[in-house]
Amino acid sequence: MKIKTVLAMLVLAFGLLAGSAAVLAGGMKADAAMAADAIAKAEAARKQAASVNGEWRDTGKFIKQAQDAAKAGEYDKAVKLAKKAEAEGRLGYEQQVSQSELKIPSYLKY
Amino acid sequence: MKKILITLALLAITAVTAQAGPEEDRMAFIKYYKAKFPSVPMEEYANGVYAIDPIGRENWEAIEEFPPYEPFIDAGQAMWEKPFANGKGYKDCFPDGPAMADKYPSWDKQQGMVVTLPLALNQCLEANGEKPLKYKKGPINNILAYVAFQSRGKVINVEVPKDDPRAMAAYEDGKKFYFTRRGQLNFSCASCHLQNAGLRVRTEILSPTVGHVTGWPVYRSKWGTVGTLHRRFSGCNNNIRAKALKAQGEEYRNLEYFLTAMSNGLELNGPSARK
Repeated sequence: MKIKTVLAMLVLAFGLLAGSAAVLAGGMKADAAMAADAIAKAEAARKQAASVNGEWRDTGKFIKQAQDAAKAGEYDKAVKLAKKAEAEGRLGYEQQVSQSELKIPSYLKY
Repeated sequence: MKKILITLALLAITAVTAQAGPEEDRMAFIKYYKAKFPSVPMEEYANGVYAIDPIGRENWEAIEEFPPYEPFIDAGQAMWEKPFANGKGYKDCFPDGPAMADKYPSWDKQQGMVVTLPLALNQCLEANGEKPLKYKKGPINNILAYVAFQSRGKVINVEVPKDDPRAMAAYEDGKKFYFTRRGQLNFSCASCHLQNAGLRVRTEILSPTVGHVTGWPVYRSKWGTVGTLHRRFSGCNNNIRAKALKAQGEEYRNLEYFLTAMSNGLELNGPSARK
């Protein structure tokens, strides 16, 4: 009985925490520092992908657009674009690393 | 015990295919395409997609009656014959004459890398104090068109020398590039040109890999001019939303090495016209 109560309280506490965090994040406006940080992260992810020849076509373009948006004071837009570029950089890197060994497809019969 | 033995045998087979040499690879490709396009004779593959696209072929044959690449051949001939500032010319770098496209790409032991025809031409220019040409667009296509035209009918015969392990490594590198998925669309060269050759991407029929390298440089209607093979590589990579790599960089040169080995035995027929 006691354990159940403690568990219920814990769940409630976490729920409240998560909820308030979400509210905070949703209501928070991006500023110049956040944009600069997101752009730096995106650039790092792009470089990591490029280091294994895994960069995607538009990643650099999104970073450039994010930089332009940040310059124009549109920080929300800049963060959104930078996050998209960062995700692309990560995926491009993972895509190449996951194929580090050559695998001949099964439809090609020797 | 039996299961272990079967697993081991399967592993051994996989290991063999992963390390198959150029000739084994080529035979596997041919076997695959023969099963896919049983009515297409082998020599037809030199015509690229028009080997398997009868309607496109009619248009192509009509275009070939007045070849759009002809002025580029003439301009290339003028380049070949015009001496450099130091009085020497292409003839001095390539004494075997302009009909030499079948000698490339080849493994250069001294430089320790695959040397392609455009690279060899630029090395000749640089050795004579001339400015190298750009690798995708512009005058390099003139000289390439002239060399290709003079080399028509020569048979592709790429050799991967066994006495230098770096050559096989370069070949394997090109093969790996071919089979590696890249870009946002997660396609490899093989996804389109092996697995799905003959099917359509929007309105275009995907060409088979065997025969990809026979007709360069190519006058593409889309470009409205003649362009290089590496320009096409860039375009392909862009289409699958991967960032294109450097023309005549190591990756594309090794890819060309592998692709050309897959077309061994086919006749060169460049320059050619494509959509």
